[in-house]
Amino acid sequence: MHHEEPFTNRNVSESSAYYYVDIETYPTTGWDKFKQVVKRTFNGELFVGLWVVMREMIKFDIHTVQYPLEKLPIGPRYRAVHKLLRLWESGYERCIGCGLCEKICISDCIRMDTRIDENSRKEVTEYSINLGRCIFCGYCAEVCPELAIVHGGRYENGSEQRAHFVIKDDMLTPLDLLKAGEQAEYPGFGAIIPGSDASVKKTPLAY
Amino acid sequence: MINFTINGQPVIANKGETILQAARKAGFYIPTMCYLEKTTPCASCRLCVVETDKTDGLILSCQTPPTEGLGVTINSERLEQERTNIMRLYDVNHPLECGVCDKSGACDLQNKTLEFGISSQHFSAKDQHRTIEHWGLINYDPSLCILCEKCVHVCNEIIGDDAITLQFGGYKSSVIPKNSDALDCTFCGECIAVCPVGALVSSDFQYSANAWELTQIPATCAHCSAGCSLTYEVRHTSNSIGAKAKIYRVTNDFEHTTLCGAGRFGFDFAVEGTKEESEFAKAIAALSNASAIRFSSFITNEEAMILQGLKEKLGLKLYNEEARAYQSFMSAYASISGKTGFGGSLDAVRQSDGIIVLGGRFTSDNPAVRYAMTTAARHRGAKVVYMHPIEDELLQNVVTQFVKYEVGTEEGVVAMLAKTLLAGADLSDEVAAFFEALDEGYLCAECNVGDEEFARIAKSFGRAKSKTLVIGSDVLNHKRSANIARLCAMVEAYTEFSVVVVPSNVNTIGVSLICDLDVDNGGENVVGYNASGDYTMGSIGNVNLPLPSLNQQEGTFVSINHQVLPTNVAVSYDGYTLNDLASALGLKSDNTIDYTHKLPLSKGFSAVAFDNLGNFFTPLGEDERGYRLESIDVEASGTLEEIEDLPEFNGSVVYHCNPVNQFNGYTARTSQLEKEAMLRGSAQFAAAAKIADGDKIRVEFPHSTQERIFKLDSSLKGTIALVPAYDVGFGGLNEHYRFEKVKIMRMGSES
Repeated sequence: MHHEEPFTNRNVSESSAYYYVDIETYPTTGWDKFKQVVKRTFNGELFVGLWVVMREMIKFDIHTVQYPLEKLPIGPRYRAVHKLLRLWESGYERCIGCGLCEKICISDCIRMDTRIDENSRKEVTEYSINLGRCIFCGYCAEVCPELAIVHGGRYENGSEQRAHFVIKDDMLTPLDLLKAGEQAEYPGFGAIIPGSDASVKKTPLAY
Repeated sequence: MINFTINGQPVIANKGETILQAARKAGFYIPTMCYLEKTTPCASCRLCVVETDKTDGLILSCQTPPTEGLGVTINSERLEQERTNIMRLYDVNHPLECGVCDKSGACDLQNKTLEFGISSQHFSAKDQHRTIEHWGLINYDPSLCILCEKCVHVCNEIIGDDAITLQFGGYKSSVIPKNSDALDCTFCGECIAVCPVGALVSSDFQYSANAWELTQIPATCAHCSAGCSLTYEVRHTSNSIGAKAKIYRVTNDFEHTTLCGAGRFGFDFAVEGTKEESEFAKAIAALSNASAIRFSSFITNEEAMILQGLKEKLGLKLYNEEARAYQSFMSAYASISGKTGFGGSLDAVRQSDGIIVLGGRFTSDNPAVRYAMTTAARHRGAKVVYMHPIEDELLQNVVTQFVKYEVGTEEGVVAMLAKTLLAGADLSDEVAAFFEALDEGYLCAECNVGDEEFARIAKSFGRAKSKTLVIGSDVLNHKRSANIARLCAMVEAYTEFSVVVVPSNVNTIGVSLICDLDVDNGGENVVGYNASGDYTMGSIGNVNLPLPSLNQQEGTFVSINHQVLPTNVAVSYDGYTLNDLASALGLKSDNTIDYTHKLPLSKGFSAVAFDNLGNFFTPLGEDERGYRLESIDVEASGTLEEIEDLPEFNGSVVYHCNPVNQFNGYTARTSQLEKEAMLRGSAQFAAAAKIADGDKIRVEFPHSTQERIFKLDSSLKGTIALVPAYDVGFGGLNEHYRFEKVKIMRMGSES
């Protein structure tokens, strides 16, 4: 059966809860304008506001987050400054240098350089993201076949420079943090869906 | 013409065409994995199977020509099933490393796997231990190899190295070097180009960039006169600000063109330049005071035009001995043939069933000629006669008759050859009398070529239908080059032979057409452009004013095929150009390429603007590169001269000849090409000159002296040694006659 959620009509009409605010007509003559100024000046509305502030201050019930001393928790799938992760067991970089993040980046802010290393593996020598251009869309993390580039929770990227870069060393999990088990997996787009082991089909192999 | 149908639709095939070729021409799609237009069908992939109404089984469309009235079905459920199963087999245990593979998506296997929707492995096979082979410039990963045999076919049929072969062993099969442990070849890299997967890769390029990151710049190779089409692939070098782009690799349209190793691996010859006004002023002053400009043919037609303009404007002389030799050779040639250029081309060589090659070492002078010869020999069973004082081991699989003549006797050899080939032709009385009067006994004795050799040539070319005579650059600087030219022109004028005269440098023909060249007699205040001089400029060697090298310029070259070919800027250049200098001297033009449509019509050029020149091949292989020079009729008033006494070259004789893949100052400074600049000679030569392998020697030429290491080369025979020219000065191979008598001294022995 076709089901459709009833859509609230938000247009201003007779039947809706909206109403026109009763606005006084603007003074036109000079005398009327003078009268309005005098009325507003001596009305004491200022003290109404001051009283509200005073009353709330004495109550000591303040909801302001004391940023930067205090930070609100953010969602695990929040997309802030990128991280490059390492393999848990070996500590090697997960990035294989396939270049898909560089290709998919719609603001063209990822750039990498690779070479063949001594073990005939592809090694990423340079990796940078221009955070001045990044729109934090998350495509790089989504496309990454190795779950190597992910978004982290560091959303503070104020800088003295108009565009600042993050380079590989800034993003890569330091080895001591990895050993301490502090590397966090990213559950956002591109991550493995819980229970995906069950859907893996084994390749027939002969030994 | 054969009429048949594909899927019920009428298709016409030419004689000799296969079903696949006819289908492709008519716009039908038949998938293939191993098919290469330029080789014989490998017939290894079996994807191109089709059904016909006259056979029960499936047939391979790549190697079967259609018969009249045949009904061909190219897609049916049965064929689909067959092809899908083939793709499933290809994908068994294929490493899932597409993320790092150098093909980076430009992969035939990946395309076909997706096309046939192979998403999982259906079959299993015991995986083999396969190790990656490192063959110098080429790396081979057997686990990625799909054994399509394309590499083996090009190496054997087009290049002629015959260096790789397939080791059969079922699932263990792989490509191996033929008859040797390590790959021993001329490193043309054509196997890399044709590899449909990432099995054969350039070791320099490997893992350095993804295909999609590279900007492709279609250009023309700047190393030899073949003017091969190539694509420079360019990308940024680093993330750091100010890092300049560079060429990462060179690719070619391998279905229709072939590239040698110098073109493919010798691409990093760009120079750096800055705009320094003081230097510019010095260059202007030098040019204003100059009596002449000496230049080499490593320039574009547009630059040649500028030089010619400067000559007219400033009253300079233009020196280019190498191009002048070609110019005078061709004018003597034209005085007999009545046309400005020779009639042959590389295509003509490729289509020949009889080829005579004389006076050049083409494996190193012009590899495209060699590849054309190999193609003709393999595909048409062409008879190839190679006439030269030195045998070339690389041509041994192609050459059917090697004729060795004595150094310096080219005039006699060509006269005898012309007499042989012109036998029975309808000659004028005067010409007939000339050949009648030839002193055969003397000529044969001095050339050291027997009558029977010429008789054998006459016999084997009697039945040939399309014949080509290829003249190398040895004769261009011969003392009697004009008469040799006239004799060669006789062959073209009176026989079915088409003649190709191989120019020595990339734009020798262009320069010889555009510039009025003067005899180089030295003099004061000579400005050298990529050549020696009192003030030097250019992109080779240590020069006063750097100018962009040929991969940093746009312009055109004239190739051996008389084609005007465009080339483009692959690497940017920040300094001055020749056009800036000429503009400052009053020869005003905004860009160098503004001269392209002003190239002299009287020499056969067309008034086509640079931006309107194509530089590609159509999918069916039609050449859309530049345009062809028009042949201009000239007065044929030349007459043959009496053959002079043939010179003798005794003592130590060396031949100016570069190693394979080395041509000039550009290739000399590339990082990948081998730079073995030694004097190479046989054991016989070593004994005569009293030197041994590895000796440091001094070679005294008539005009100069060089110090070199001697290398004993077991592949060489005879008493002539090979001396490279690419690393000396500006790398001109053809400034003098290529054979020279020298004095050789062992260093340290004279004291």
